[in-house]
Amino acid sequence: MSSKRINKELIDLGRDPPTSCSAGPVGDDLYHWQASIMGPPDSPYAGGVFFLSIHFPTDYPFKPPKIQFTTKIYHPNINASGNICLDILKDQWSPALTISKVLLSICSLLTDANPDDPLVPEIAHIYKSDRAKYEATAKEWTKKYAV
Amino acid sequence: MSALQPMKITVQVVGADGLYKRDVFRSPDPFAVITVDGAQTKSTSTAKRTLHPFWNESFEFNCTQNSILAIQIFDQKKFKKKDQGFLGVINLRIGDVIDLENDISQSETLTRPLKKSNDNLIVSGEVFITLSHKGRGRQGGAASHMSPPNGPPAELLTPGPSANDAGSNPPGLISASNRQYSSFEDQYGRLPPGWERRTDNFGRTYYVDHNSRTTTWTRPALDQSEADRTNQRVNATEAERRQHMDRSLPGENSSSTTVGNLSSSGSVNASNNQTALSMASNGYTTFGLGELPPGWEQRLTAEGRPYFVDHNTRTTTWVDPRRQQYIRSVGPNTTVQQQPVSQLGPLPSGWEMRLTNTARVYFVDHNTKTTTWDDPRLPSSLDQNVPQYKRDFRRKVIYFRSQPALRILPGQCHIKVRRSHIFEDSYQEIMRQSPEDLKKRLMIKFDGEEGLDYGGVSREFFFLLSHDMFNPFYCLFEYSTHDNYTLQINPNSGINPEHLNYFKFIGRVVGLGIFHRRFLDAFFVGALYKMILHKKVILQDMEGVDAEFYRSLKWILENDITDVLDLTFSAEDERFGEIVTVDLKEGGRDIEVTEENKMEYVELITEWKIHRRVEQQFKAFMDGFNELIPQELINVFDERELELLIGGIADVDVEDWKKHTDYRGYQESDEVIQWFWKCVTEWDKEQKARLLQFTTGTSRIPVNGFKDLQGSDGPRRFTIEKAGESNQLPKSHTCFNRVDLPPYKDYGSLKQKLTLAVEETVGFGQE
Repeated sequence: MSSKRINKELIDLGRDPPTSCSAGPVGDDLYHWQASIMGPPDSPYAGGVFFLSIHFPTDYPFKPPKIQFTTKIYHPNINASGNICLDILKDQWSPALTISKVLLSICSLLTDANPDDPLVPEIAHIYKSDRAKYEATAKEWTKKYAV
Repeated sequence: MSALQPMKITVQVVGADGLYKRDVFRSPDPFAVITVDGAQTKSTSTAKRTLHPFWNESFEFNCTQNSILAIQIFDQKKFKKKDQGFLGVINLRIGDVIDLENDISQSETLTRPLKKSNDNLIVSGEVFITLSHKGRGRQGGAASHMSPPNGPPAELLTPGPSANDAGSNPPGLISASNRQYSSFEDQYGRLPPGWERRTDNFGRTYYVDHNSRTTTWTRPALDQSEADRTNQRVNATEAERRQHMDRSLPGENSSSTTVGNLSSSGSVNASNNQTALSMASNGYTTFGLGELPPGWEQRLTAEGRPYFVDHNTRTTTWVDPRRQQYIRSVGPNTTVQQQPVSQLGPLPSGWEMRLTNTARVYFVDHNTKTTTWDDPRLPSSLDQNVPQYKRDFRRKVIYFRSQPALRILPGQCHIKVRRSHIFEDSYQEIMRQSPEDLKKRLMIKFDGEEGLDYGGVSREFFFLLSHDMFNPFYCLFEYSTHDNYTLQINPNSGINPEHLNYFKFIGRVVGLGIFHRRFLDAFFVGALYKMILHKKVILQDMEGVDAEFYRSLKWILENDITDVLDLTFSAEDERFGEIVTVDLKEGGRDIEVTEENKMEYVELITEWKIHRRVEQQFKAFMDGFNELIPQELINVFDERELELLIGGIADVDVEDWKKHTDYRGYQESDEVIQWFWKCVTEWDKEQKARLLQFTTGTSRIPVNGFKDLQGSDGPRRFTIEKAGESNQLPKSHTCFNRVDLPPYKDYGSLKQKLTLAVEETVGFGQE
């Protein structure tokens, strides 16, 4: 089931590419993709290009893909190893979701962080108590690592 | 051109990790052969019996930028065989690692995965090396020397992305090493042997110790010495052993006869466990205080483990009699047993009643030359006194035991094994005997140890053997994804060509344990118990096998899948890295799954994932099992009872349970919660075990108590949630160790509803 579905997603991505994201296989391994996300203009990540690695499990789409940022990013829901805390990648996954939808969700996570369910509590704390400082640091990291 | 002029390079071969294990019982003796341009060859010394050799040897070669360095690993024991015991190879071009053109001092540490050779033998693992060059130019780069393999430069490991971006690699690439770490290492280096790093659903890192089957948030200490770790392992095993030795079945052990002495002896045993754990430094069983009772003697096994000899009864035991007395004084079951004895009439022929010097009654069966604490007349008469348990597991056990097919045959079955080779030796011993021989009285002997098998030795035997034969290390069984330690058949067990013989053996051992009333320290996924009972597996059983998969299948049933999913009646299976398409029915890969036929699809894929994928293995297992236990007899039990029959019932420490429970919508002080714990405390240990099965999917308790309880996605404490109406039954979510408890109005209805839910819901994975 998985290879057929992944192929279909790849074709759909080519035919109707989502704005601000792109994704495709790394080399000839259909189960390992690389994706990129443009920092949303209304966020401190604007101007940055963030890379992610995607690994599809053999029983995709019954199981969620494993997605990690490979570009460093300052965000309450993304940790230093690039792991993302996003419900649809965990227990809210459904087989109807696609890579394209997941990437769009990640884009909106960049615009609207979820500091109440943080992966990095320190960043969440700053996000809530000193928003200006959070934005400055996020901008600085973007400039340093993602431009 | 300096690049083409040979220069001196030092190749330090640090070690390798996760080498492929070609033999079931033996690890290889690996050594490495280092070749430059096929001309200069050096080799390391041989590491003994390891999959993680550490050589740390350095060699000098003359290289140019274009020289090719090859490192091959072989098993020294098989070097003369056809494949030379080949364990993998890495190849690299010197110029890709070290820049010889600018003749400066450099040093690079690399981790490289081992590759196959032409003959396509499977290999695994990686090699750690350091390449260094002493240049005439100035020192260059960060020359970290012989630090733990911190991962090579990004461009070496991620050829994909960098090739794709044509040099526009994002500058802030998270250090490639970060993603490169296997779950057995991290930025601080390797985890101790048997430890694994995992991430829970919040992305938090936790550590699993497969040696003791425990989890912790704290990274195992780096500076801990091997001796400390061995000690900890010994202690953990000791705690497991105690928990195991305390297991029993209703009607088969004196400590399960009355409710009152149950709960008290339960907490005593639990505190024994605590003491066992706290004896962190010596690793021995805990000793009681004062002098041994008259006629008792303490001896040591060859390994220095103390055991106790009772010369009065000529028995041996691991349990210190001074401790046992303590338990007995708390739970005076001597009176419980003695009381009905006078009314029971004569003993069966060939039986004799005797007293130990502590005035405890025991029984000698001269027919089989065995002794037991249990009165052979007792089960049927006791039924009148014991509160009748609705599902009546107890009666089933008594009926089951009374069947002629399960009677011990005259004669003895001698099994002699070495502790250090228990799996290997048991396999030889048990497979060479006929099933009829195995039905004779078991006489287990550990090589080099005195002590006759009056029960204690065979308990120890089944304990140790179950740890070894189910160890995922042998690839016969694997832990389910539901939690860490329920076992299922490994679909890839065929990697061992002999695997079906081993499954037959394991089936025999499970049957042997049931036949001789010994417990295994092993718990399977619920679906496997159902399969043993020849019951059809259904979607709900998937929850215990693979919770994520289960959720997706449920989603399919609950939603319109038209134009959403692109499925056919086929499955894709990964076999050693190769993806194979399997038809779920004839020509299935060409049949679309539609809204109309999706029910059939869900049924077939469930059947395939749980049963068909391991059909051969399971058949071999059952062949062995049925040689000792007839199918029609085992069928009297349901799947939860079968779990208890195989693993026994442990004492549950309710205080510890309570201490590590979370509440949602309730407070610990709420009346309903108080009633809940009151009810649990009053229950006997079988009912407690059944409540655990109902709420967590298994009656297994983590060795270190409820703080280590696992859910399908990492550590999950037991949780009671306020949900449902007071006229409804409690519901459970076994993946999350959670019970939905409606706010009942009084104690009576809580007790009634909870009892009903626990007793009447058969099958695992309640939703």
